[in-house]
Amino acid sequence: MNRALFYAVVMTVFTAIAATAQALPAPAGPVILTVSGDIDVTNVDDTAQFDLAMLNAMDSTTFSTSTIWTKGTRSFKGVPLNVLVESLGIEGETLRATAVNDYAIDIPISDAVQNGPILAYEMDGRTMTLRDKGPLWLVYPYDLNANYRTEVIYSRSIWQLDRITALK
Amino acid sequence: MPIQKTQISRFKLLLGAVVGIIGLSVLFLLAMNVVRDLRLLTSANSDNVQWTLSQAEVEFLEYRLALGIASVRKEPDLDQIRQEFDIFYSRIITLDQASNYEGLRSLPEFSRNLEIVKAFIFRAAQVIDGTDEEFAQALPELLIITREARAGVRTMSNSGLVFFAQDSDIRRTKIAFTLIQMALVVAFLLAALVVLVVYLNNLNIQNIRRRSEVVQINDRIKVVTSTALDAVIVTDSHGRIRDFNSAAEQIFGYAANDAIGNDVGALIVPDYLREAHNKGMQQLRKNGERHVVGMGRIKMDGKRANGAIIPLEFAVQSAMTEEGEIFIAFLRDISHRVKAEQDLVSARDRAVAGEKSKTDFLATMSHEIRTPLNGLLGNLSLLRETRLSAKQFRYIRNMETSGRLLMSHISDVLDITKYDAGKLRLRPISMNISALLQDIVDSQSGAAIANDTELDWNWNGPSVDWISADRDRIQHILMNVVGNAVKFTRNGRVTVEVEIINDSADVCELQFIISDTGIGMDSELQSQIFDDFMTGDSSYDREVGGTGLGLGIAQRFVKALGGTIEVESILGEGSAFCIRFPVKAIAPPEAVMQSIARARKSPASNILLVEDNEINRMVAREMLTAAGHKVTEARNGQIAVDLAETEHFDLILMDISMPVLDGREATRAIRAGQGPSSQTPIIALTANAMAEEQAAFRNDGMNDILTKPLTQKGLIRIVSNHVAHKIGKTQTLAPESPELSQTISTAYLEDLRATLGVKPLQSLLDRFITETDEIMDELCDHAHHPLAEIAATAHRLAGSAAALGALDLRTALVTVEQAAKAHDTARLVAAIDTLPKIWTTTRPLMQAERRRTSRTDA
Repeated sequence: MNRALFYAVVMTVFTAIAATAQALPAPAGPVILTVSGDIDVTNVDDTAQFDLAMLNAMDSTTFSTSTIWTKGTRSFKGVPLNVLVESLGIEGETLRATAVNDYAIDIPISDAVQNGPILAYEMDGRTMTLRDKGPLWLVYPYDLNANYRTEVIYSRSIWQLDRITALK
Repeated sequence: MPIQKTQISRFKLLLGAVVGIIGLSVLFLLAMNVVRDLRLLTSANSDNVQWTLSQAEVEFLEYRLALGIASVRKEPDLDQIRQEFDIFYSRIITLDQASNYEGLRSLPEFSRNLEIVKAFIFRAAQVIDGTDEEFAQALPELLIITREARAGVRTMSNSGLVFFAQDSDIRRTKIAFTLIQMALVVAFLLAALVVLVVYLNNLNIQNIRRRSEVVQINDRIKVVTSTALDAVIVTDSHGRIRDFNSAAEQIFGYAANDAIGNDVGALIVPDYLREAHNKGMQQLRKNGERHVVGMGRIKMDGKRANGAIIPLEFAVQSAMTEEGEIFIAFLRDISHRVKAEQDLVSARDRAVAGEKSKTDFLATMSHEIRTPLNGLLGNLSLLRETRLSAKQFRYIRNMETSGRLLMSHISDVLDITKYDAGKLRLRPISMNISALLQDIVDSQSGAAIANDTELDWNWNGPSVDWISADRDRIQHILMNVVGNAVKFTRNGRVTVEVEIINDSADVCELQFIISDTGIGMDSELQSQIFDDFMTGDSSYDREVGGTGLGLGIAQRFVKALGGTIEVESILGEGSAFCIRFPVKAIAPPEAVMQSIARARKSPASNILLVEDNEINRMVAREMLTAAGHKVTEARNGQIAVDLAETEHFDLILMDISMPVLDGREATRAIRAGQGPSSQTPIIALTANAMAEEQAAFRNDGMNDILTKPLTQKGLIRIVSNHVAHKIGKTQTLAPESPELSQTISTAYLEDLRATLGVKPLQSLLDRFITETDEIMDELCDHAHHPLAEIAATAHRLAGSAAALGALDLRTALVTVEQAAKAHDTARLVAAIDTLPKIWTTTRPLMQAERRRTSRTDA
């Protein structure tokens, strides 16, 4: 095989991978989530910033569950935490989530699992406003798993979420 | 009762199980409760309400602060206000809607203030949700309502405190309850553990006790087996010794340690039994066949360590153990017992041999003495027939009486032997007791006169003359006692009084009292006089003489007659003997007797007399010729055999002990021969009256026995019996009158029964009947047998028939034998054809004889 051709193929593959890794576009609409800290993928400075459209574009999960803060069972749609963690190449142990009102809580990366918590941006099919605990609410499937019905998990169920810092 | 015990223990077990299951269920439920409660504690269904309330106040204040800042600025940051308001709004809505604040909302004060705050946020929202211009203009108004809402927010927040207190209380109670439950579970578990410990402890104690019991029992068994006198050997099913007690060590000479583990067969079974033993063990293992085990006591030889064979008696039992079947053998060394038995047997054999030699001696002696005496008496008998004076006749009679007495002494000796051997037999005949008494008194009168003593006899009360009794014995008894009385009385009187006592239907008891006025006896002598060889005062004995056997024999005879003899005596005054025995009174038979004698008077017969003793021969010849018979004499058996070969005799009188050829040999030779006299009745003449020999004579082919001394009466009776019988029988052989036949000789069988005993004759008859049944078949099937065999068979059976009195059968068989020997088939067939009919007649008669126990039963 032609050596030059071989390098060309290899280079093309690498470039493609690099392009995928850094393919986070800059947010067009209002930023609703800013991820900072030890992350591999950024779009604005050292942070990864998301508008609603970007989150909508990502893989999503929908589940229904009751919560202790709402009436009856609600349907939540959002980006699974593990999807976000993977897409941003987060490798640390802890995520520090902070709400609009500066309520902050540390969430261990181990919570970011399949069938785990999601960054919900829709409740009952409607985008959540600040008054409805939006724009993002970290919702665990409480009804699915008894382990999610503890005070610790309740304290991690942060609403009006707008910032995440990936800690080492 | 083991069954009840089992039931009770089963019931206990069931109860325990039920209680255990219930306890475990309760424990499980309790534990589940605790676990659930604990889980409820970890999974709180509320977040921190208190924090939420204060957060609400904080967020309100932040909103108010933003509002305050904005109101003093020229260009107020309206978005900031909006954000802070939205956050507060969101909080209040949460408080209003969240399920975990239901308890809080149930507080009236809280919910009232919540409504006030809600009213505020809805009104404020209308302002805030307007455009920036409208919002900016309404700021002052918003400030006012916000200030007014401050109190409501504050009060709402405070009112939650009451709830916190209550909530904490509830939580604490819940925790306390859960903890109490937990404590209960733990307590229950502890209690269960304690119960279990107690139970296990009990179990352990029980086990220890049982174990010690087992050990004790084991020890006891060990002591028992080790001290047992019998050897105890335990083996497994392969015969390996597992236990060997100390008695076994002693008996077999092996130490237990050496014996255990070895094969029992190799150790203690003698070589000649080894193979059988191994085969037995093999069978046992293979199919459980048992020849020895559980079969009780068995005698067998055993082997000692030194190879000596010892007789053993043993029993083997089996038992099942965890390690398979074991066998326990109890063995006893019976060497001593076997030796004792052997000693006993040889002692008995010696005693029997001694007894036999004594009997033989006595028999021989009596024969030797009787032969010359017979001569004497025979000559006296002949002398009496000659012309004599009255005096001479009396002397001869006295001599005869004394001679007979002497003969009877010899018989006495034999009688003692017989009586003591239990062989004494009574021979009842018709007799005149008065005549007997007169005879005795007469015979003793000479001695009485010599002693100046009066001797007489009389009936006391009614008398009886004719009785049926054993005359010889009675005569002996009375002669002896009367003789004694006369002997020991001088110048006195001897009286014999007879009396009938206890007279019943046909048996009357006679009582004889023989009293004398003689020397009498002291009481010591009285107690000894019936002993053998008792002769009283020795000095006096010399004077009066005597064998000392007299009263001993008298007593034996009286007992044999079923009576008693007693004595009363006063020393110096005299003695009285009282003798009682039962007799059978009968009618005077004289006329009948005479007619019978006449009827029996035989026709003149041709008689062969075989006798070596010349005097005896002469006496017999005289008596026979006097009766009109023709007599041919033979000095010994050989001459007789030769004569019988050539000449026909109607009767042969055969002495037993003779030179050249004795009577028995001669008889056998005559019977075996073909001569004209081979079937002639042969009568044994013998002084020897031993029962065993009489049977032997009959086996030799003799038809009857005439006991010496010969009497004319006896001789004539014999001749008439046999010769008349012979003639009669010849007639009966004619087929026209078979019913006249004397098929069997009942008289002969009766004699035989008396001679042999009832039982032996029964078994002889049994054998004879069975044998004849078989031989009849064989003979009827004569075509398939050689003539020589038929002859031999017929001869053999004829002998048996003769020996058992089956006369017709015998005659017919002899004919068969002769025809077979002569190869005369026509005669043979004719003779054999008569056999079944004769046997059909004979058989039931023989069977009837077999059932008969004695003549009197007939």
